[in-house]
Amino acid sequence: MATRNASCQSCHANGDTLLWAGSAHQQENLACNDCHKAHQPHDIALDHRESQQLCLTCHTQVRAELHLPSRHPIVEGKTACVDCHNPHGGPGDAALRQVTLNDNCFSCHADKRGPFLWEHPPAAEDCSLCHRPHGSVNERLLTARGPALCQQCHAAAFHPSVPYGSEGLAGGTANANVLAKNCLNCHSQVHGSNHPSGARLTR
Amino acid sequence: MKSRLRLLRPFTAASSLVLATCGALAQTVTPEADDTSATAPLALENRPALTDWLSGSTNAARVGLGYTSDDNYMFGEYNGLSQQGPTVIGDLQWQDFHNSDNYWQLSLSNLGLDTRQGELTWGRQDRLRFTMGFDSQQQVRNDSGQTPYRGNVNQYLPGNWVSGVNTGEFATLYDSLRDFDRVIDRDKVYMGVEARIDDNWRFRSNLSYEQKEGHGDTGAAIYINGASAEAVLLRAPIDYGTTEFDMGLAYDAERLHLDGQLAYSNFNNDHKLLVWQNPYSAFGPDVAYPNGTGGLGLAPDNEQTSGRLTGQYIFSTTTRLQFDGSYALAAQDQNYPDYTVNPALVVTVPVPRQDFNGKVATSTANIRLLLNPMPKLNTEVFYKLRDRDYDTERDGYLYVRGDGSNQPGTPETVYNTNHDLTSQTAGFEAGYRLPLHSKLGFEYAYEEVKRRNAPVEKTEEDRYTLKYRIQPWSNFSSNVHLEYGDRAADTYEWAQDYYALLDTELINITPDNQRYITHPLLMKYYMANRQQWETGADLSYLPTERWNLNLNLLWRNDNYDKSTLGLTESKWYRAQFSASYLVSDSLSGSVYTGYDTYKGNQQSRAFRGGLEKDAFAIYPPLPQASDPDQDWELDATDISFTLGANLQWQLAPDMELKLDYSFVDTRAQQDLTTQPGGSVTASDLPDVNTKLHHVQASGIWHLRDNLSLQLDYQYYLYKSDDWAWENVQANTIANVLTFGQTNPNEDIQYVGASVIYSWQ
Repeated sequence: MATRNASCQSCHANGDTLLWAGSAHQQENLACNDCHKAHQPHDIALDHRESQQLCLTCHTQVRAELHLPSRHPIVEGKTACVDCHNPHGGPGDAALRQVTLNDNCFSCHADKRGPFLWEHPPAAEDCSLCHRPHGSVNERLLTARGPALCQQCHAAAFHPSVPYGSEGLAGGTANANVLAKNCLNCHSQVHGSNHPSGARLTR
Repeated sequence: MKSRLRLLRPFTAASSLVLATCGALAQTVTPEADDTSATAPLALENRPALTDWLSGSTNAARVGLGYTSDDNYMFGEYNGLSQQGPTVIGDLQWQDFHNSDNYWQLSLSNLGLDTRQGELTWGRQDRLRFTMGFDSQQQVRNDSGQTPYRGNVNQYLPGNWVSGVNTGEFATLYDSLRDFDRVIDRDKVYMGVEARIDDNWRFRSNLSYEQKEGHGDTGAAIYINGASAEAVLLRAPIDYGTTEFDMGLAYDAERLHLDGQLAYSNFNNDHKLLVWQNPYSAFGPDVAYPNGTGGLGLAPDNEQTSGRLTGQYIFSTTTRLQFDGSYALAAQDQNYPDYTVNPALVVTVPVPRQDFNGKVATSTANIRLLLNPMPKLNTEVFYKLRDRDYDTERDGYLYVRGDGSNQPGTPETVYNTNHDLTSQTAGFEAGYRLPLHSKLGFEYAYEEVKRRNAPVEKTEEDRYTLKYRIQPWSNFSSNVHLEYGDRAADTYEWAQDYYALLDTELINITPDNQRYITHPLLMKYYMANRQQWETGADLSYLPTERWNLNLNLLWRNDNYDKSTLGLTESKWYRAQFSASYLVSDSLSGSVYTGYDTYKGNQQSRAFRGGLEKDAFAIYPPLPQASDPDQDWELDATDISFTLGANLQWQLAPDMELKLDYSFVDTRAQQDLTTQPGGSVTASDLPDVNTKLHHVQASGIWHLRDNLSLQLDYQYYLYKSDDWAWENVQANTIANVLTFGQTNPNEDIQYVGASVIYSWQ
């Protein structure tokens, strides 16, 4: 295997493959031709629309996440696994292409980059504190449903500290903190606000 | 806080130990070119072959027609098939390698849809490559909602609007509602060049521009305080342009490999402010309909310039150093809007600056020293750094609350706060190959995170990972791992947010026991003490040459052992099983199924009752804040079950059939517990269920060697009963005017017929 890989690396020693040595796939003893078919007209590993099929043959645990109600367009081939991960290895966690997880997200969502006058600290620190990138049961790839998600960190001395149960549903009191976008009915700027009146992330 | 050594001391000691061991061992052994004890991956037998319609051809073109049975937004969320009616199928794949000196490649797909993309490449073998292309994406969201608002960035109500203090009094609401689409289109064009300058140097550069247009949705409130707020859901206009440019040089020598890159990214939003007319009649004539307006700041323009250097130095066949460092400066100087868009509100103190002029500098470093002192032993020592330096002036903002009242007095000034972060991780990893094609691995990592203006100044975490892989037989392999992480936070300074945000004058007149925003017993989970256990296994078994079985299991437990309120525990279980069977050379099938459960336990204390507490008002201490009878608990569970099957069958030499089926069943549960006999009560929320059946079938009939007919069929059934939208009409919530959207309930069919012409 090492000999076969070495013949490829004699030319492909830089760019994406620079950090192949020590990468997760290298440590799993994958050979280049386990994924690449150099002598076929089309190499599926290099096909942006189809390459995720190849990844899912081994990463079966991700396949289910890609079909959850909230997801990225990975199944459709509009986002590829390799857009975020470098299968040949990278210096950071999960072989992400960008230097931080947030930079990975900002490469498509530059509107969330800021910097903002009023930051939401966890959003600036780590997008995955609130979002699951491969797919989620909850809308907008959220790790939990609102308002519970917000209440994991917020218990202020009025509405944020109150439990919201089924009595607040339609047919009951129809509580604004439960229904529709719940907390985000008012605090819509959860990624940060640049409005001088936006300290409460409502502007 | 635990007594801990400084970061570098354990790291240095451990690294020295690893290096010394490696050095000693390296003197006594010589590396072997091929190690027969190595394991090999097993799950590759079901590797997908080719894009279906290409059928192994070098060049092919496909044209045809498709038809979608109904308008939808779940089936067509990303695939461009959201509209009822016919669509054109168009794909082209062409490449020309006949000229030994240069080559061409052209790929076009989905030409009849809003998700079309294409790429043209010209190159000279291993010396030069030019690429240019385009990629269009579309996301559609729930289109069942309606709004009374007209306009785009200035949204206003129709002339016959009848206002009221709550949505139930909007007498002309239903006559005013209009349908609208929530569709976001991304159109990206790009070009790039790669060139080999000589045997050592390579150059590359890329330029892209992406336009993102359409409408999302947003909540928007006009309010005086948290208890006196009235909100609307609005269409959120999106008109973004993002330009990205990078250029890089790579250097390759026998021992040294370098890759340097400079990059620039510019984000431009054509819309700066979303203004809407207040539909409500509360808060006085200046704020009420028809004069009152609200203003929402939209994503500000920003840019980022960065440099990155990645490299590797190979000391010997057993020792190499890898490094990656970067520096990025993100800047934003979008002009501020006024404190309020409502000219009738009195503002005496102007905004302190014309623009934010904020800068965030992010520095990263990753260093890995890889050593293979023995053929069976590989080791690694690593260090990672992430430093986020948020550089901006700290100013006082005397903000107008929710465009609902005049500017308040100076004690209510709030201050912007820098949130800096420095994270350092150091550790080592070792793997040793044992008999029976097995490998034992161990990793230790120590992470220190320092934050500024956060409740916790420093967290430290020790993380231990034990990995074992065995392949005792050529047709069976097993990977197991066990991981333990212990994170310790220094003293939880719950008042830090409070002091950072508010004015000294207000702080000084606030009783000590109310100097907080979030309850002092709540610890934000991502910086709280945590003990994390994780274990997982991945088993692959090929009972015969035609069978491939895989089982993947994961269990994780996060215990926030020092947290009284907030997230206190979470658990994650996952089991995935897949099987594939190659019946014959012409027939194969696979199935997969998975069960995923995420459980979270969180607690809080309701301290309301009587008067609402105004964030800026001074009240006697609220007894509820220290009364555990006000505590409540939420157990949330998200469950997903997936089942899928795939069949590929070559019915005849000239006929292929492919069948895919996906079933996804999800459930989100939330159970609430309050104190018996207490004044705080809440009932369990009903489950939220979604169910998906998706069948995809395609058949290809090869009429001639170069001509084929492809038929496609999809059946999509999806249903959700999310209580957030179930039976919520536009005026169901008294103080939020919503879209009145319904939950998805889709029953969609798609058929397509296309002709494929191929040539060599």
